[in-house]
Amino acid sequence: MAAFFTGCDLEQEPMSVASKSSVFGSQQGLDLYAMSFYNGLPSADDIHRVDNMSDYTARRNAPPFLQATGYSPTTSDNTSESGWDLVALGSDWNWGWGNLRNINYFIQNCNDPKIAPDVKRHYIGLAKFFRAWFYFEKVKRYGNVPWINKALDVTDTLMLYKKQDPRTMVMDSVLADINYACQNIKTTSDASKSLVTKNIAYAYKARICLFEGTYRKYHTELNLQNTASTWLTHASDAAKFVMDQNVFKLYEGAGTDLSYRNVFTTITPVPNSEVMMAAIMDLALSVTHAANWVHTSATTGIRFSFIRTFINTYLNLDGTPFTSNPNYQTTIFKDEVKNRDKRLKQTIRLGDYKRLSGGIQVATPPVFTYSYTGYQPIKWCLDDVYYDTRNLNINPISFFRYGEVLLNYAEAKAELGTFTDADWALTIGALRKRAGITGGLTTKPTVVDPYMQTKYFPGISDPVILEIRRERGIELCMEGFRYYDLMRWKRGELLEIEWNGMYVPELNTPMDLNEDGKMDVAFFKTTKPSPAVSGVTYIDVAPTVSGTPNPVRLKNDTSGELTWLTTVARKWEDKKYYYPIPESHRLTNPKLEQNPGW
Amino acid sequence: MIVQQKQNSTMKKNLNGFCFPREGLATILLRVKLLALLALLYATLGASGSFGQQQRLRDISGTVKEAKGLPIPGVSVFVQGTSVGSITDANGNFRLSVPANAQTLVFSFVGMKGQTVSLAGKSTFDVVMEEETIGVEEVVVVGYGTQKKANLTGAVDQVGSGAFENRSMTNLTQGLKGIMPNLNIRLLDGKPNQSPSYNIRGTTSIGQGGNALVLIDGAEGDPSLLNPNDIASVTLLKDAASASIYGARGVFGVVLITTRNPEKEKTSVAFSSSMSVKSPITTPDFVSDGYTWAKYFAESFVNWEGTYPQAVNKTLKFSQAYFTELERRHNSPLATDKEVEIDPVTGEYVYYGSTDHYALLYKDYELANEQNISVSGSSKTTSFMLTGRYMGQNGLFTWNTDKYEMMNFRSKGSVQVYPWLKIENNTDYSSTKYHNPSNVGEGSGIWRNIADEGHPLAPMFNPDGTLTMSSVYNIGDFWYGKNGFDFRRKTFKTTSGFVAQFLNDALRIKGDITFQKRDNSEKRKQVPVPYSNKPGVIAYVGTTTNDLREILTETQYIATNIYTEYEKNLTEKHYFKLLAGYNYEESTYRRVMAQRNGLIFEDAMDLNLALGQSILTEGGWEKWNILGGFSRLNYSYKDKYLIEVNGRYDGSSKFPADQRYAFFPSYSAGWRISNESFWKVNPDLISNLKLRASYGSLGNGNIGSYNFLETLSITQSGRIFNGVRPQYTRNPSVLPEGLTWETATTTDFGLDFSMLNDRLNFVGDYYIRQTTDMYTIGMTLPAVFGATAPRGNYADLETKGWEISLTWRDKFNLLSKPLNYDLRFTLADNRSIIKKYNNPDKFLTDYYVGQVLGEIWGYETEGFFIDQADIDSHAKQSPRFLTTSSGKIYPGDIKLKDRNDDKEVNPGTNTATNPGDRFIIGNSAPRFMYSFNLGADWNNFFISTFFQGVGKQDWWPSVEAEVFWGQYNRPYNKLPRWHLDNHWTPENTDAYLPRYVSRQNNRTGGILTFAQTRYLQNIAYIRLTNIQFGYNLPKAISSKIGAENVKIYFSGENLWSWSPLYRLTRDIDIENTTPSDQLFTSGNAGDGHNYPMLKSMTLGISVTF
Repeated sequence: MAAFFTGCDLEQEPMSVASKSSVFGSQQGLDLYAMSFYNGLPSADDIHRVDNMSDYTARRNAPPFLQATGYSPTTSDNTSESGWDLVALGSDWNWGWGNLRNINYFIQNCNDPKIAPDVKRHYIGLAKFFRAWFYFEKVKRYGNVPWINKALDVTDTLMLYKKQDPRTMVMDSVLADINYACQNIKTTSDASKSLVTKNIAYAYKARICLFEGTYRKYHTELNLQNTASTWLTHASDAAKFVMDQNVFKLYEGAGTDLSYRNVFTTITPVPNSEVMMAAIMDLALSVTHAANWVHTSATTGIRFSFIRTFINTYLNLDGTPFTSNPNYQTTIFKDEVKNRDKRLKQTIRLGDYKRLSGGIQVATPPVFTYSYTGYQPIKWCLDDVYYDTRNLNINPISFFRYGEVLLNYAEAKAELGTFTDADWALTIGALRKRAGITGGLTTKPTVVDPYMQTKYFPGISDPVILEIRRERGIELCMEGFRYYDLMRWKRGELLEIEWNGMYVPELNTPMDLNEDGKMDVAFFKTTKPSPAVSGVTYIDVAPTVSGTPNPVRLKNDTSGELTWLTTVARKWEDKKYYYPIPESHRLTNPKLEQNPGW
Repeated sequence: MIVQQKQNSTMKKNLNGFCFPREGLATILLRVKLLALLALLYATLGASGSFGQQQRLRDISGTVKEAKGLPIPGVSVFVQGTSVGSITDANGNFRLSVPANAQTLVFSFVGMKGQTVSLAGKSTFDVVMEEETIGVEEVVVVGYGTQKKANLTGAVDQVGSGAFENRSMTNLTQGLKGIMPNLNIRLLDGKPNQSPSYNIRGTTSIGQGGNALVLIDGAEGDPSLLNPNDIASVTLLKDAASASIYGARGVFGVVLITTRNPEKEKTSVAFSSSMSVKSPITTPDFVSDGYTWAKYFAESFVNWEGTYPQAVNKTLKFSQAYFTELERRHNSPLATDKEVEIDPVTGEYVYYGSTDHYALLYKDYELANEQNISVSGSSKTTSFMLTGRYMGQNGLFTWNTDKYEMMNFRSKGSVQVYPWLKIENNTDYSSTKYHNPSNVGEGSGIWRNIADEGHPLAPMFNPDGTLTMSSVYNIGDFWYGKNGFDFRRKTFKTTSGFVAQFLNDALRIKGDITFQKRDNSEKRKQVPVPYSNKPGVIAYVGTTTNDLREILTETQYIATNIYTEYEKNLTEKHYFKLLAGYNYEESTYRRVMAQRNGLIFEDAMDLNLALGQSILTEGGWEKWNILGGFSRLNYSYKDKYLIEVNGRYDGSSKFPADQRYAFFPSYSAGWRISNESFWKVNPDLISNLKLRASYGSLGNGNIGSYNFLETLSITQSGRIFNGVRPQYTRNPSVLPEGLTWETATTTDFGLDFSMLNDRLNFVGDYYIRQTTDMYTIGMTLPAVFGATAPRGNYADLETKGWEISLTWRDKFNLLSKPLNYDLRFTLADNRSIIKKYNNPDKFLTDYYVGQVLGEIWGYETEGFFIDQADIDSHAKQSPRFLTTSSGKIYPGDIKLKDRNDDKEVNPGTNTATNPGDRFIIGNSAPRFMYSFNLGADWNNFFISTFFQGVGKQDWWPSVEAEVFWGQYNRPYNKLPRWHLDNHWTPENTDAYLPRYVSRQNNRTGGILTFAQTRYLQNIAYIRLTNIQFGYNLPKAISSKIGAENVKIYFSGENLWSWSPLYRLTRDIDIENTTPSDQLFTSGNAGDGHNYPMLKSMTLGISVTF
């Protein structure tokens, strides 16, 4: 009978999956694998929603993270509806580490002698780029984290069960990775704007190093101030490298009124020299995002509304601070938005902003069924109302754009103290010029703007740094930088800032916000004016409505700035500079140290 | 032949007959019945007395005796078709005046075979009645053969076709639920195509898993595609010894389904038809009044968030002003109030509706019908049978309803080529179709979609007939009627075989070869659905889909067996049976998936009409083959000592080369104590007593085909690079080293006995199944490992259980007609404990040693906080347990007990050794599964009832179990009516539910996301799974249409049930408390969000010619 058995072949090979040798044995295979790295990038919707938690964002509810007991090591990040209360870019939610293994496995196995060494280095460079991405996000969120540079075996208990490595060691490793990527990624340009190239690696290096340099400089409790300048030098050098390539430039093709906005709303980024790498959308391929839906629907998103304190930082067209006007606090909406940095009208609904409805241009004021403050964002939104329902947006959302490179360069140089007038003209000056600002474009400022200093950065006395930070806030708003900018500047307290809105001079008087001759909104206390003016949204600002405290109030009860949700306290504590290590992971590895204060 | 019923000749040898002087249990029982019978009899006779006088009569007389010549008193003697009759006296004599034209005399007596005697030409009658054997000696199907039930040594259970007769079931699996003890079938939902896997005797393996092997006529098959009317028997091989002849695939038991054969030397045509009315057993009772709903919505929202709601999820705006208007309309409605108004500012619709979504969703009832035909015939040398069945079920939904159809054809035939050789063929073709609607808006199941956006405030339609945005996410999509899945499954199977007999049938050689092809297809269509928020403005959900997806799978299966059997009675004392054979099976699976968007019109149903550039293709392939040599030896000594030895040498492609082959022996033995010479117990009392024991150890072959290879799978990226969505691969899962087979070792002890002249039969088994070296996920590793911990042979599991079945079968005469009845009661239980697991710290997030599977760790609900002082003095609870988003606690919130008195309610280190304040509050595994069957027939009437249920089971309504938690889950959920006066308020402090705060069963940290004692539900239940009654028309009538038999019947499924849960709510059927619809989600969209379980009422007729 044994002979009978051996006659039959019981060897079956899988036919619908690839083997390790076929993947790592050809460039095509390496390419196939390298595509998986990109899954570690945030999604388009991640990016345009990250600023949901920032100092300039008034919203439907106070983020639990900013409430006294709203977040703890037992909180899970990505429950269905709480996800957007947190800042996470990529895979760093809930202490996730799966993408790192994927990268490390590649680096370990990309060693087939059949493949040319420079090709292998190119792909390993890509892998290291994404490992740097992975760790940078981890460090930003958690501070010290364990450094793991191989696909671990079950037997690697020392690595598995180690405590966090010091920030210095991890960031040095991140730097080594991004340096390797800069040196070995071969592609320098990518017309599709979807792939990581050498320039992207340098741009990313600048971003990382600026963060780390300023973090070490301002977080004196780390005692790493003396290492800050090295990182800042790396940052400025890397940014300079990109600038010197002359591959990218600020987009100015649509003039001062439209160029800035077009960077975010042009459907195809290819002719746009400013976008360096983006999440590309295409309805035909069923890849879209939901910016319009989120930012025009009263019900879907958090009703992202800019606060007035931030809107006030937009300069006058002549380059002088709006807040130098003695009456700025009592200027009504339709007037305050005039004669301002043209990025304002390319960021929020105001003035003659029109939307396309069924092919017809319709004047569109901010609507108070959406906005809590009057400052309703349009930055990522397409103008045709067709895009408002469900996720239909096809405008790409950038991971990297040249404007940020300029800002990184400027800030690094300024922090180093090596910033010159020429640098100013090349960076901040150029950005302001594109925004239609006429004054102060060629020489760096010499006078501190007291508004920026008192409202935002009391610890900063260098007028250049203050202006660069103003610029960064305005230029990069809603692009996902703000929260971690506040962290590295050690200005978490700004997250407690009052959520204020436009100035309301009196009750019961309808206001025409966009001067199209139609009244838009009126405010009343308890009793709605009668007869109501048709087409006007009436907002009750009484202290209570139906016995419940009313979140919409006016500063002086019957007039003044709108305030939103002062009924719910937001509380900053320094422990929040880092997220807590989730409790379950500390139970699995008791050597993991909880971040201080949690 | 599968179920043969032979007259038992040996067992009755010592029977003395029934004499009154002899006392015994049996006679006492008989006396009671006799008295009742006499009373009835006299009443009947009295009534007919005057009638008899008018006829011409003649006198007859006689004696009734039993075989040994002793007279039998109390025998009823009747003229057939009349009430004229008498009973025999103490000497067995009777005397009777009968009408002159009377033709036949009927003698009946309990325990004796009835007799009819012609009256023609005689006036004295000496009748000898024969003992009737109630217990029949059954032959049961076992692996590769049959065996006398009396000689079984393993744990084997069998039911015949009666269990499925007259029942409206969409597939066989649904009909098998609850019928046999420890055949555990959990239906999950009520879909007509639902056919879960078969489990025998509880948790099999927490590693590879594994279900019972299902063999249809000896070859693997899909029971859900079988024609239930073709079934002759279903046999369970429960212990290792019985199953081991099937080797590694039979490790967790075998279900042998055998189809009917043509009746011997008879030709018949049978036709049956039935019509059923079906409806959900329960639909939830939710508040549909818009104002009430909104009031609770806002209250629950404010109580959690601390702010007033600005929206109802994502489809309706909400504000204080809006609610004020709702309130006004509720309190002082105006004639001008309309359900739908238009906001003057935005021009958008504003809704003030009261929509009852469940009333809209379901029809009142659905119809199903079934048609069967069967033609069979046989002569001495040939036989054939053709059967066909159509089953159609129209579906529950008002719009785009689900629809189920099934067709079966079978042909069977055999030719006795030579006296020693028979050739057989058995060919089966089955096909099912099922349409299941889906929602393009969010893609989840309809119940979840209604929970999310089915707000009572929003009507289904706008005044212009367009859908509202709320409804487009749920019922509106059904109304639009384009989106859904179409499933088709087809099986073609043909088996050819031969049976050769030599040496006077002592040596038999059998061989067969089976070819089976299974084709499954799934077509999914998703098109955008229009709705309107503003008059004249149409928007769509599902715009990014607009696609068609087709999945085709094909499984080809070849199996062949050749085996020989030698049976010999060496002397009177020694009996041998030897079986040896060879088995080879091969299965090849292929899959093709194609998806493309851009349908040129929305009714397009072919991929050719999809023109978009989002194209997704996938392949798939799996092939395995196994071969085995098997043998079995049966030996019995004087029918007293029974021994069986099985062995199988198994080879499987699913294992790496060095682990590919394994040998699995098993042993069983039986001792028929009642056949011992020292056994002096009166066989009237105990007629049979047998002890059984078996032991066997089997490897688990139920594993993935390529589990041991490092493979990199390829998928399409969701992102665009260079203008396309490229394919990508990524790191493989981590492979372990040095793997070996999982092994299941079963020890079984059985006891069979028959009592009271075989009326009462008992079969009981106790077993211990050790599943060792289970291939489980390794120890929970720190997250930096970055992958699921590799599997390894890390774990051991022990399952202990038992099952009993008790049957009582008897008959007595009622109104001179025999009433046959039988009762069957079964009870089964099992409990599994982890004996070894790679979790030294005993983290509760994983299995741990000592864990009883299903155990629920939770907190003790102490009650509700009374006041601030109570809150302040209680152990710290927030922010770990949230009753508001801010973490602040109010009176009326749940108070959890600080059991370990450490001033904080917490989970400790989340380990079994330090669980903090948690303890085991219950267990989710079903225990004490029971069934109860009662059947009776009398005078052509028959009735049967089948109850089944679970004796003990706990359910923690998990996160998102919205049907239970209502707005405690999400504020915009439905509002169960039983919540209304049942939540804490300052005036109602001893309510069942806490302060009305939403999100407590939704957000992380929400206090109702944690299992706790107060809300743990007891979901034990009893269900009247089937009740039927019917009538066989008298021959006199049926013969007029040339029929041999005509039967009409009524049958009801699931008409009644009860559970302790129903004291609280009937919103969820007890069998629907399972995780949500698996077609749409992985089950995490809320317990109970399922296709409802159905009840049905069926009328049927069957005619046999």
